[in-house]
Amino acid sequence: MTPARAERLKLRVWVAVGALAVVLAGLVAIQATNEPSKGASPPTTVGLAPVDPTPPTATPTRYTGPQGRVGQFVVRCPYTHSGSHDPIVHFGRAGRSHRHDFYGSAATNSTATIADLQAAPTTCDKSVDTAAYWQPTVYDHDRVVVPIEAHAYYRAAPGIPKESVRTMPAGLALIAGDQTATTPQPGEATGWTCGSNTVLSDKPPTCTADAPLHLVLTFQDCWDGVHLDSEDHTSHAAYSTDGRCPPSRPVSIPQLTVSVDFPIWGSGHDLRLASGNIYSAHGDFWNAWDPAGLDREIRSCIHRGAVCDLASNRAEEALFSGGG
Amino acid sequence: MTSKLHAAPRALLVLAAVTFLLAGCGDGGSATGSDGATAKAGAGTVEGALRVPQDYKTIQKAVDAAKAGDLILVDEGTYNEAVDVTTADITIRGVNRNKVILDGQYKLENGIRVLDTDGVQVENMTATKYLSNGFFWTGSDRYRGSYLTATHNGDYGIYAFDAYHGQLDHSLGSGSPDAGFYIGECYKCDAVIDTVISEHNGLGYSGTNSGGDLFIVNSIFRKNRAGVVPNSGSYELCYPGRRNTIVGNTVYDNNNNEAPAIDVALLAQGNGILIAGSVDNIVERNLVFDHDRTGIAAVPFPEDDANDVAPPKSEWDRTCASTRDDEIPAEDASPGTILWHPYNNSIQDNVVSGSGLADLVSATLPSETVTVESLGNCFSGNTFTSTAPTDLETLSPCGGPTTGDWSKGAFDLIPLIADQAPAPPEDTYRNTPEPGDQPTMPNADTAPAKKFTRPAKVDVAAIKVPTKPKGA
Repeated sequence: MTPARAERLKLRVWVAVGALAVVLAGLVAIQATNEPSKGASPPTTVGLAPVDPTPPTATPTRYTGPQGRVGQFVVRCPYTHSGSHDPIVHFGRAGRSHRHDFYGSAATNSTATIADLQAAPTTCDKSVDTAAYWQPTVYDHDRVVVPIEAHAYYRAAPGIPKESVRTMPAGLALIAGDQTATTPQPGEATGWTCGSNTVLSDKPPTCTADAPLHLVLTFQDCWDGVHLDSEDHTSHAAYSTDGRCPPSRPVSIPQLTVSVDFPIWGSGHDLRLASGNIYSAHGDFWNAWDPAGLDREIRSCIHRGAVCDLASNRAEEALFSGGG
Repeated sequence: MTSKLHAAPRALLVLAAVTFLLAGCGDGGSATGSDGATAKAGAGTVEGALRVPQDYKTIQKAVDAAKAGDLILVDEGTYNEAVDVTTADITIRGVNRNKVILDGQYKLENGIRVLDTDGVQVENMTATKYLSNGFFWTGSDRYRGSYLTATHNGDYGIYAFDAYHGQLDHSLGSGSPDAGFYIGECYKCDAVIDTVISEHNGLGYSGTNSGGDLFIVNSIFRKNRAGVVPNSGSYELCYPGRRNTIVGNTVYDNNNNEAPAIDVALLAQGNGILIAGSVDNIVERNLVFDHDRTGIAAVPFPEDDANDVAPPKSEWDRTCASTRDDEIPAEDASPGTILWHPYNNSIQDNVVSGSGLADLVSATLPSETVTVESLGNCFSGNTFTSTAPTDLETLSPCGGPTTGDWSKGAFDLIPLIADQAPAPPEDTYRNTPEPGDQPTMPNADTAPAKKFTRPAKVDVAAIKVPTKPKGA
């Protein structure tokens, strides 16, 4: 037996064990799933969740390899604008944040509300996706790199029963990665790669024009079911492990992976981020989807295990474009 | 100029459609006899049919109310809907293909999307102006699309992914930057594309990692950027693409600089039937003419930043389902740029003319282990004027030995790769020519729905080389 096969078997056993537990733990979530959210009002939420002094593991279980294996929907959101705004960490305080690049709703700034985002135009190819996605601006030799676009993949995390995935409430705030990191971050919440390859590096690899540099961010897929945000902006959510959410964050939500496409290839780059050195990679998601639209995609694609979209045949994968 | 050229082929299609029905190739949706003869169009006389808008205001409401075996009969009108179908074994039919219009207004994503739901037939209507696809089956077996028109849609016209036992017939796909018709990620697909027209798209037909009892027959692929382009890639599952049967098609003038395009369409532009890294295909008795580059070519498909290496021939028999949970060994997971070589394609008895570079081509970018002569592509009985390498039918006859000088007149892939048309604006698909009225399904308002079990069996041996359409 190859090591890979052994690893797979091991994973399967864990998944089997985990699945049973999740079925029990997820009963609440399933109930919620059967009653899809209607209208724009989020579920009852009470302030910010307190900081968890002993947070669960901060690394996702990721999908790797070819697409088309599991149900998913994918949104392509071209770059919209940049600014020193951070609606999650520094709401109402323009200029307090380092510079971010935004995708999705054109309205995202320091003061825009979820309703503002929903009412604004979006760059996303699904018009119901008026959410905000962002990451710190990349600098190359101190020059701003203008990104191309972000692809947002929504799937049930590996091992999570697909029917248990509940819609994300409007206003849910998620952050992947640690903006204060100065050394390689543990785990794979963030990582760099070329093109749509799924093998991640801590530092940007040297890419080709046909498969340029990408920053890949994978967000938490477990939620406490109560708070849209937390004091540290992460404690209300967590990553599933071996196909189950921790009891403190029992609600499965879609595993969101955002892949940001930068026009960077070849050698001779000196890259850093607005948040610090290259290891401070992180990204944010603020859910301002049209709730009915998001709910429909979760039910149609994730619950049914249907591949509703693929990014692999789109422009992101500039197959054989001859540009290199 | 282009619109004038349409009239004659359309008349031909009507003829072909009638012939198809008389021959009994259609499986379901056929006429029931004389009892409906007095029914007026749109009258909806099928007993028990769920009628839109008479019984249900929207197609979605009717679909949600339907049960297995039901027929939903949609009356003439414009429907600004994106319909999701999750009810198995239903038929959604328009009373008039040209007057039942699903219109996405460039705001909605898919006209009709069938999600992991088997036995759904969609018949006799038009889907236009959707941001993604006109008609889309994903993860859904026993699918059928018949007498459909898909035009001005942002990804594909008529699209089946991870779907088996399907049939697309008497339909038209036009004005999409990707393919007019696409069947992808299935092996063995058990699917048939018969008597369709695909025009003004980036690709007439595209299918990644699909094949195995996949028949593309008796159809017209014209005025796309490229005609029929099955390919392989590890960016999706079930590689390589393999074992398609492409017979009796009319493939011409696929050089369309004004068509919308994804990147692959720009790369493939100016070629009629381009086997791009797909293997074990049968390409026979097609009429292929007037291409800037090649008529029928077997070429490699380079994949940058691949997820896996190409599997050996010993794995080509594995079903897609059996490979779904394969773990990619770490040493294979990031191989960089790989080349999908076009192995073992059989190209016989085609009639090919008017190609700018060569009528028939076998080519690859040679490596230490793979050369053009080792690809195993064979050529016999074709009508042509030029090949690359020179004298291909002598170098590599089907059923005969591979001999001779392969370097003479070898095909130069580099210009093909380097010299590409510029990418058109993303909204080009919104401005392609209107297809005009298409043949509508006979007895649409009286024929009962019939459960769709499997695609009609194609009598491949009986298919002859098509005659050249008038005015083409």
